Amino acid sequence: MASEAHEPITSQEYIQHHLTNLVCGKTESHGWTCDPHYSEEMGFWAFHVDSLGWSIFLGILFIGLFRWGLPKLASASEAPTGLQNFIEMCVEFVNENVQSIFTSAKNNLIGPMALTVLVWVFLMNLMDLIPVDYLPELAKGVGLEYFKVVPTTDPNITLGMALAVFILIIFYSIKIKGLKGFLAELTLHPFGKYLMPVNLVLEGVNLIAKPISLGLRLFGNLYAGEMIFILIALMLTFSSISVGLLGVGLHLIWALFHILILALQAFIFMVLTIVYLAMAHETQDH
Amino acid sequence: MNINATLFGQTVAFVIFIAICWKYVWPPIIAIMEEREKRIADGLEAAKKADDSLEEAQLAFDQEMNKAKAEAAELLEKANARASQIVVDATAKAGIEAEKILTSASKTIENDVNKAKEELRQKMSALIIETSEKILGDEINTDKHQELLAKAASEL
Repeated sequence: MASEAHEPITSQEYIQHHLTNLVCGKTESHGWTCDPHYSEEMGFWAFHVDSLGWSIFLGILFIGLFRWGLPKLASASEAPTGLQNFIEMCVEFVNENVQSIFTSAKNNLIGPMALTVLVWVFLMNLMDLIPVDYLPELAKGVGLEYFKVVPTTDPNITLGMALAVFILIIFYSIKIKGLKGFLAELTLHPFGKYLMPVNLVLEGVNLIAKPISLGLRLFGNLYAGEMIFILIALMLTFSSISVGLLGVGLHLIWALFHILILALQAFIFMVLTIVYLAMAHETQDH
Repeated sequence: MNINATLFGQTVAFVIFIAICWKYVWPPIIAIMEEREKRIADGLEAAKKADDSLEEAQLAFDQEMNKAKAEAAELLEKANARASQIVVDATAKAGIEAEKILTSASKTIENDVNKAKEELRQKMSALIIETSEKILGDEINTDKHQELLAKAASEL
């Protein structure tokens, strides 16, 4: 529980505490600091160390699992077992999706990217299933006042990935169609060249909406899920056994249901990434 | 829930992880899977080939078997024919032999009969002479009437 014996906190404070990141940034008065008291002062040049830390840790976990999870002498002559099976299943699943969406063009970056997105986002989402107080309490034990565990409940993380996808969309659009082709796509549709400004607005919104919706969809789903976990956990802070038991039951039910959302959101993020990049590769007019 | 430089941090991390995955994670997995796919395809093809050759062998076996059966039947027929021929030959030989034996036996019998007849004739003539001597007394001289006796004997 977040409530400590000597200073009972209100529900609002409990929720607020769970929604605050461990932030390090540059302040006017104290230079670079991780003191949460100066978080207001940091402005843009601040980093959510917890979100980034977990995200990078889970990324490394993904790489490690898939790079060294294969047996040392993985050979095609032996039937795959255990972890290798799982890895191949993931890769095959991703590959199938990529091949079904990426029909016109060939790009061998898409497969690895989709795999990274799927597994990494899934791992980040999975952190949501760890009861909301466990890791923050541990962090408190080593002196970190705020500690958010699920990276995908941080819009910076989801929009950060969406930004990378956006950059790739623009990169491949220009690479495949040429700068001229890309600009033509932005300005000559859907109304022809005489309504260029209208076209640009429409297509521009269309283009910008892709990364924003991609990032916010993941963030929104996970943030809402996390919030419900926090509210359920809040029930356990009341000094009533029946409410507490109800809370445990609800937590179980929500966690089971949430497994579906976690996997689904990771899958959606991957599929949309592939779709957006496939669209960037399409040269024909539409 | 404020947007800050974390966003760029995550973008950079994302790009780096994609790059690592692209360079070091994806290729070995795909290579293994593709090689296995190829092996399985080869294996299936080999199995199909083996199946075909088995069928061929079965066919050849059946042919050989039929041929052998036909040969055996032919041999059996020949043997039967030969056996009956042997029996026929043997029967014929035996018939000839039997006839020969019969002929020689009848000849012997005839000889014996002639011999006995001759003996009987001589004994008869002797007996006649003796009887005649007894009747006529010593009138008849054996030497004298030899001719008559022989005549009588031949007439018997």
